[in-house]
Amino acid sequence: MNDVLVIGAGLSGLVAAWQAVENGRSVRVVAKGWGITHWHAGCIDVLGYYPLDNPEPVVALETAVSRLATEHPQHPYALIRLDNLQTAIEAFKALCATANYPLHGSLTRNWLLPSALGTFRPTCLAPATMIAGDLTDNTPMLIVGFSRWLDFAPALVADNLTHQGIQATHVTLDLPSLRQRKIVTALTIANLMETPAFRAELVNALKPYLSKAGRIGFPAVLGYTQATAVHQTLQKELGRPVFEIPTLPPSIPGMRLHHILLHTIRQKGGMVLEGLEATAATTQNGRITGLYTSAATRHRLHHAHHFILATGGILGGGITTNYTGEITETIFNLPLSTPVNRQSWFRRDFLDPQGHPIYQTGVRVNQQLQPLNENGQPIYENLQAIGTILANWEPIRERSLEGVALATGFIAGRGKTVTSHKTQTTSTSN
Amino acid sequence: MRDQPIWKARTEPTTTPHQPAELTLDQCIKCNICVTACPVTAVTDLFPGPKYEAPQGGRFRQETQPSTDHSIDYCSGCRVCNMVCPTGVRIAEINARVRAHMVKTGQIKGRARLRNNLLARPETLGKLGQPLAPLTNLLLHNTLGRWFAHKLLGIAPHAALPHFASHKFSSWFRKHTPLSMVTRKVVYFHGCATEYYEPRVGKAAVHVLEANGFEVLVPPQNCCGLPLLSNGEFQAAHTYHEKNIHHLVKYIRQGYVIVGTSTSCTLTLKEEAPELLDNFSPEARLLAENTYDLSEFLLLLWETGDLNTENLRPLPLTLPYHPPCQYRAHRLGIPSLELLQLIPELQIQLSQAACCGVAGTYGYKQEKYEIAMRVGEPLFQFVRHSRAPLVLCDSETCRWQITRATGLPAIHPIELLAAAYGFPAEEPLRTVLATYANNQVAVELH
Repeated sequence: MNDVLVIGAGLSGLVAAWQAVENGRSVRVVAKGWGITHWHAGCIDVLGYYPLDNPEPVVALETAVSRLATEHPQHPYALIRLDNLQTAIEAFKALCATANYPLHGSLTRNWLLPSALGTFRPTCLAPATMIAGDLTDNTPMLIVGFSRWLDFAPALVADNLTHQGIQATHVTLDLPSLRQRKIVTALTIANLMETPAFRAELVNALKPYLSKAGRIGFPAVLGYTQATAVHQTLQKELGRPVFEIPTLPPSIPGMRLHHILLHTIRQKGGMVLEGLEATAATTQNGRITGLYTSAATRHRLHHAHHFILATGGILGGGITTNYTGEITETIFNLPLSTPVNRQSWFRRDFLDPQGHPIYQTGVRVNQQLQPLNENGQPIYENLQAIGTILANWEPIRERSLEGVALATGFIAGRGKTVTSHKTQTTSTSN
Repeated sequence: MRDQPIWKARTEPTTTPHQPAELTLDQCIKCNICVTACPVTAVTDLFPGPKYEAPQGGRFRQETQPSTDHSIDYCSGCRVCNMVCPTGVRIAEINARVRAHMVKTGQIKGRARLRNNLLARPETLGKLGQPLAPLTNLLLHNTLGRWFAHKLLGIAPHAALPHFASHKFSSWFRKHTPLSMVTRKVVYFHGCATEYYEPRVGKAAVHVLEANGFEVLVPPQNCCGLPLLSNGEFQAAHTYHEKNIHHLVKYIRQGYVIVGTSTSCTLTLKEEAPELLDNFSPEARLLAENTYDLSEFLLLLWETGDLNTENLRPLPLTLPYHPPCQYRAHRLGIPSLELLQLIPELQIQLSQAACCGVAGTYGYKQEKYEIAMRVGEPLFQFVRHSRAPLVLCDSETCRWQITRATGLPAIHPIELLAAAYGFPAEEPLRTVLATYANNQVAVELH
């Protein structure tokens, strides 16, 4: 029997599994499929906007997170506490550095990086491949795209940045290596970038446009498993700082983090099984005793000592809704903090600055991340919930998705309670 | 006190109304995760990627519209896309049904269709080829024979055709004297590969089942029909499926379950045949719900304390194991690995490769052979780097492909388990165990 069964292989689930194997616990992860790791920007956004009605991005992160935790005592950050967030961030940086894919940043200050729309993207940790795009620096930039690949529009990025006072121009390259292909995807280019021949072709095609550009922005396809080497080589060959801008899914920077986590978990003996959708559970005396996953014609029952629920929110599939207004947690039928009725799910305007109540739906937990019943008592002694299934926060509007996923996954995987945080050291940052 | 299932536990096999695979395309959110995971797309742009085929092409699949499916025949059917899809689109099944439509409407025809029909009938080939084994092996495995197969039929000259066995599994079984300690009973589905090419796998399965107190029955049975399904020959596949239902359901009604060692056969009986052929008769369901992969079955016994593990001898070997894509598609995790971990002192190196490339009959086709070899390359590298004397893999065509590419012999995990129970191993495992035993003696003498 495994020590830990993690349900879901998004960022929080994989972080939990990684921390569990790091702490000597045996782990199995079951997941319906891949998800957020292939969609998100590959950065760790901790808190981009606070208070939410303030359009200015957060700069001093630590102060903002502390203030949020004080003003919203039910927010995941308030439950897990700042020092645990700090520890999780340092451990994750150490993991990625060991994998030769360093992440830069800290709780001291947010980066301000460009998005694929040319908007400002506040984030706490960004890979080395992205940080030269920081918009607090006004070095003129050239944004590069590829004519055979439609998922990135350099003109859109450059024009929007220009409107916001950033000096940006753009160019779209028509490279023979891409032209001869029937189809070009993000992964096609990322893999080609790892070959010297393609990089030489790219550098040659780009040279005539370099004159005024102090730095060069590419879509985030500069290599997959060799990204650091590709990035450094391009900087050298172009003689300028080079940075990546996250793209539409599939997100290569997200996949790099996925690859690092998966590789580490498996190397340390954890099992990650995709294609296994959790459907139900067995319980006994206030404990979860088993989890069913659907298989061909039947279900498989998995036993474990501890269960970690990381199935995501409405987008991830951990919470589902129907047209009559029922909102349900899909496996354990946990109580949800839910808007009263169907009419109050949404506000009138799509982009209402207050956000939509439905997006705060989630599982209420205590400091140990145990789901709570209506009386505030833990429902199952050996169940924890992490990531976007949690209630009382808004990952998208706050720009805090990865920060909460990382910190809650870290604590649940480590398997020690929050109250003992003072004795914790960063065992993984060796 | 027994475990209490909570509110929505569906512990019984599902009997929900069947939803055709095509309806799941509406769940596609175009996230492209399948495109990043597809092992075929990774090596050729003749196949643009799962998303572009099943769900995206699906929106244009109308009677009055021109076909968008020129590239869909390059889908190998490995189901990796299904396994990574976060929204539950049954991509591989949609592709298989589109291919069947192409066959039906004459878009796959002539020599290719003839070739596909030949490759897709292992039972017929076995019935014709096995009795004359030395001669047929000579014909199939010499350069001239392969040249003709290549030129006349488009069968790749270097693809890993198997050798007919000197005897059929069922002939061995008829002469076999079972162990006397019988407490339970089970039907063994051997599949074409065990019957005509690798009877040793079936013998190992029978030995392990008997060592656990099972009476094993091997009633008449037919090809599961998977090769026909993956070549779009649905009508012929349907005939085989009905025959197997006819042969096997009467045993299920007597309380037997069906266990098999060929992962793709058991997956076909469980899910693929009913789903692709829309065959959800009560009998088809009964067969589906009572068919088990042998490792799955043994692991279930172990979980209830009913597996004999006391007699398992230590096998101090380190061996690579590749769980085939068809095995992972059972969505059970990796039962064979969990079972192998019960053998004392055995160390398993687990392959993380997506697919060996051959995907049943895919890699035998001249136009797909190179793709199949490139798809399998990460697995081949893993196997070569292991420096092991042999490889473990549950699926027969994968074993042949791995051996073809790496030169390393490959066996079914059940063969190793049978050896751990002390049953005499056959080649290639026998030599490996003998070499190991000799080394041990040498070490001890030293």
